[in-house]
Amino acid sequence: MEIQAMTAFEIKKGIEEGKFTSEEIVKMLFERIKEVDPKVEAYITLCEEEAIKSAKIVDEKVKKGEKLGKFAGVPIAIKDNICTDGVKTTCASKILEDFIPPYDATVIKKLKEEDAIIIGKVNMDEFAMGSSTENSAFLKTKNPWDLQRVPGGSSGGSAAVVAAGIAPVSLGSDTGGSIRQPAAFCGVVGLKPTYGVVSRFGLVAFASSLDQIGPFGKTVEDCAMLLEVIAGEDKMDSTSVKEKYDTDYLSVLDGSVKGLKIGVPKEFFGKGLNEEIKASMESVMEKLREMGAEVEETSMPITEEGLSSYYIISSAEASSNLDRYDGIRYGYRAKDYESVDELMEKTRTEGFGKEVKRRIMLGTYALCSGYYDAYYNRAQKLRKEIKREFEETFEKYDLILSPTSPVLPFLSGEKSENPMEMYLADIYTVNINLAGVPAISLPCGFSKDGLPIGLQIIGPHFGEKKILKAAYALEQELKVDTLAIK
Amino acid sequence: MISIDDVKYIAKLAKLKFTDEEAEKMSKDFEGILEHFKSIDKFDLSAVDLNKYKDGLESVIRKDEVEVYEDKGKLFQNAKTKRETYVEVPKIIE
Repeated sequence: MEIQAMTAFEIKKGIEEGKFTSEEIVKMLFERIKEVDPKVEAYITLCEEEAIKSAKIVDEKVKKGEKLGKFAGVPIAIKDNICTDGVKTTCASKILEDFIPPYDATVIKKLKEEDAIIIGKVNMDEFAMGSSTENSAFLKTKNPWDLQRVPGGSSGGSAAVVAAGIAPVSLGSDTGGSIRQPAAFCGVVGLKPTYGVVSRFGLVAFASSLDQIGPFGKTVEDCAMLLEVIAGEDKMDSTSVKEKYDTDYLSVLDGSVKGLKIGVPKEFFGKGLNEEIKASMESVMEKLREMGAEVEETSMPITEEGLSSYYIISSAEASSNLDRYDGIRYGYRAKDYESVDELMEKTRTEGFGKEVKRRIMLGTYALCSGYYDAYYNRAQKLRKEIKREFEETFEKYDLILSPTSPVLPFLSGEKSENPMEMYLADIYTVNINLAGVPAISLPCGFSKDGLPIGLQIIGPHFGEKKILKAAYALEQELKVDTLAIK
Repeated sequence: MISIDDVKYIAKLAKLKFTDEEAEKMSKDFEGILEHFKSIDKFDLSAVDLNKYKDGLESVIRKDEVEVYEDKGKLFQNAKTKRETYVEVPKIIE
């Protein structure tokens, strides 16, 4: 089988069984990257030498019959806002263009402990702000299904490498839909865990109360496999959850949705939803009924204003988190300045892109005295209500179903002039981050022009197992192609 | 209505600088976005208490124990101008 079609699960099994070596896999992958990445432009940094070294270590372990990690020999691409010791981490921003972290993020540490092979760092919207990956300071990543279109964002690179077969799995981050929306645009599987399940230590912060790291894969099984490695309490992240919850996600993939009660909020099917996406969702709902699930319409009225709450809170938190980029201790530093103030002002003005500056300004405004109550406070109250609405809905239903995106993957440049239009693309994903619940985007078909369509399955807090179980069952039924470039 | 002066004031707080043209564009962008935000006034949120939490929520704390960090040099590997163990910056006080 060719490397682009292989799943992480298959690669691990094959290495364990001696069918091939990790070195062979890694070398095949880099061959393919050299051939395909120039078209897709997803990789900011490649770690070929390090990867082959790590692969050889895994192969030695296999030869000696030593215990292998859960991800032994499997290559993985990492979104460039996750710190990798000794490997440039730019957040796709000029202000971090030469930043080399002195430490590994916890998720990287965990992956290395399980013998995973870090292949490289992939493109994204600058500081995770965006829904198209067009806000990157370095590369213009293309959607592998249609190179004229965007891969979605902000984890556009992470989604694109999986869809293009130049990484079997990848890690992304999701603050307002940044894993799920690019997963839908690129026709792959992407999951945002419950807030607190995956450590944020080493994830460059955008909005600390919303950010989560999560897996991308061609299959639900690969996402479950990756989630098992990265989930868990971390003393370095005080927002990582300490309660005991099961992380044996692979155990629930048995293909059944019988008896499952699924709610479909009518607010997620309003005007603005593309007709083809609507039709695809309706056919999936029928399929679920045939499979033995109860699917019925419900209502979640407060979620209609989630977008405003999200943009106020995330911009406010971002304006605070991005305060640290001042050219003093790391990153880009402006050239001509007289005072420290001028150094910082010039550095930030020259180093940040347009969208980042826009959000910092919005956030600063919302937190200004005089406006704090009108905007930030109100947004937080609305958020509390949204969380309550989700909890109440999950008392009646096991899962919630919706489209992931109201629009099909758009053309490069189509939405980049009007910020509000770009923000509206997140309308079905932001509420999930506000409430802290988990959700997956699963490919469910294609438009008549061959563009991927993704559906979203939302679960209660710590309901990843429920989500993965249902997603796996649907995936086996729908059998959607997830490899764009053969 | 966000005036260009408002934009420049906020920019000062955020340590950013805009030209008059950029400030004008930003004020227009803001208007569109803030217009959309008015929708959060739709709901009656007077009963929502942000200081009320679910039972059992505890602050996360840890023991204040000293651990020696060996590789201090590594921490400053990205500073642009160093002098011995210091990060060099322009004069702060005259």
